Amino acid sequence: MNDPASSVAGALVRKCRRDRVAAWLQLLPGSTFFIAFFLVPLLGLLAMSFFRLVDFEPVADFTLSNYAEVLTSSVHARLALRTVQAATIVTAIVLLISFPFAYTLNFVFRKHRQLLFFLVLVSLFGGYIVRIYAWRSILGNQGVINQGLMALSIVDEPVRELLNSMYAVGASLVNFLIPLGVLPIYAAMQNVSPGIAEAARDLGASRLRAARQIVLPLSMRGVRAAAAFVFIATLGEWVTPRLLGGTKDLLIGNRIEYYFGASLEWPAGAALAITLIVGMGVAAYAIMSLMKRLAR
Amino acid sequence: MTATTASAPSPGGWRRGLAKLRRRPVASAGFVGVVIVYLFAPLIVMVAFSFNSSPRLSFPFAGLSLRWYEEIFTDTLVLRAFRRSLQAAVVTAGITGVLGLLGALGILKIAKRARGFILAISAAPLAVPGLLFAIGLAIMYRQIGIERSIWAANLGHALIALPFVFLVVGASLERFRFTLIEAAQDLGASRWHAFRTVTLPLVLPAVLGAMLLAAAISIDDFVIAFFTAGQDKTLPLIMYGRVLKGIDPTLNAIGTVMLVLTTSLAFMAARRTTIGER
Repeated sequence: MNDPASSVAGALVRKCRRDRVAAWLQLLPGSTFFIAFFLVPLLGLLAMSFFRLVDFEPVADFTLSNYAEVLTSSVHARLALRTVQAATIVTAIVLLISFPFAYTLNFVFRKHRQLLFFLVLVSLFGGYIVRIYAWRSILGNQGVINQGLMALSIVDEPVRELLNSMYAVGASLVNFLIPLGVLPIYAAMQNVSPGIAEAARDLGASRLRAARQIVLPLSMRGVRAAAAFVFIATLGEWVTPRLLGGTKDLLIGNRIEYYFGASLEWPAGAALAITLIVGMGVAAYAIMSLMKRLAR
Repeated sequence: MTATTASAPSPGGWRRGLAKLRRRPVASAGFVGVVIVYLFAPLIVMVAFSFNSSPRLSFPFAGLSLRWYEEIFTDTLVLRAFRRSLQAAVVTAGITGVLGLLGALGILKIAKRARGFILAISAAPLAVPGLLFAIGLAIMYRQIGIERSIWAANLGHALIALPFVFLVVGASLERFRFTLIEAAQDLGASRWHAFRTVTLPLVLPAVLGAMLLAAAISIDDFVIAFFTAGQDKTLPLIMYGRVLKGIDPTLNAIGTVMLVLTTSLAFMAARRTTIGER
């Protein structure tokens, strides 16, 4: 042990060990916070779904009656169907806009792609409730679109179906979710060399063909992530239908909000929420494998 | 873009010119333009109407005025909510800044595989819709007996902002040259000195940028505050209440103030970090 080389090695090993201990200590506050304010609330949600409601107060218990109530309700079945429909349509539209958009940014307007991408990012942080509200002033009876249609004498009186309808919800959701769709697709396209698309074009492929047969398969990971993101986000949405969808109970998220707000039936709401989470997992898996098959 | 296509007439040059002309991305430009307009349409309309002197939300404008801004800046309810939103933004940025900086320093030193794992786990909240996280948080507060308040909402904001902080800091670490620290220490710098003069200046811009982003996320949040802030109403909660009541022209002004706040924070964040560069 007197040999200097081994004592240097020993010091290095000690230093490495000390570094590693320090590293985990530095990660400790963040992980504690993460566990206390993310995992515990989700576990709390799970626990609440087994509680019993006694005199409008949730009481710790283990009952499956909440699930029985939630799963047998015909209202919920209808809402779930409508929610899945809405999520499918919104996801399809968002992808049909996001992919060409990311493609155009990355391959056609390479020079200006940073500016364009930044614009998309800004719109992502440009106000959730603000945007939803703004659609009211566009789609309302005296909104911009109806005013325009009447000024051009296309219609005589305002089209009332624009607001307080599924169209309004769709327009707002697609608008809000496009950045969420563009982001992963654009990120995945960064790994596709611009030369590849160009080569395909030089060999006579149309822009559409180059995009579909060369770039799409290479950026499929991003497309899948975008699809899953957008689908899940729509499944959990409730503010947009509440403010733009009219008085009807539009999506499953509104029902959960109702249980936690107006009706104070937290256990039933929690059971519905857990069911939704399970549904989201299944949906995400289905989307991933479906798109994998489509890409082949 | 088209200026370069005007090449000198050489044999076959006109044909190439024609081919390039056909490739001119008119359709692509139109598509991108339409999407950008669609993305910003609601915001543009809202900002425009916030300066309309008539309470009606219709064209043509009766005239330009600042009356709605005057109205909201003399409305104590709005002002109090405004102060609360700012407070939430500062607290959220503070919490995520401390946790983010410590986490960034820790994650620098651990093995690459563990680093990827931690970054992936920390992104999990991004996949959970706000509604589900918010009711979980409300349940936890109820079970341990914490009253609903702006502070309760703040902790939720910090949690949803933390993944962004980790992602931004993580992205900046991809370019971090670890050998710099070793070099400094080899050259005789103490650990503290190396940290202060090498590591910190390299990590800090990303952490500061991420804090600005966290502030923007906090100001923008509606769902978590809805379920956990109770009577401590923030600006988005005030907006929601007024939208439910019906048309209210002050909403355009409140929305514009919020928009300016969040976008300028996001803009500053992007300038400080690598997000804007890609």
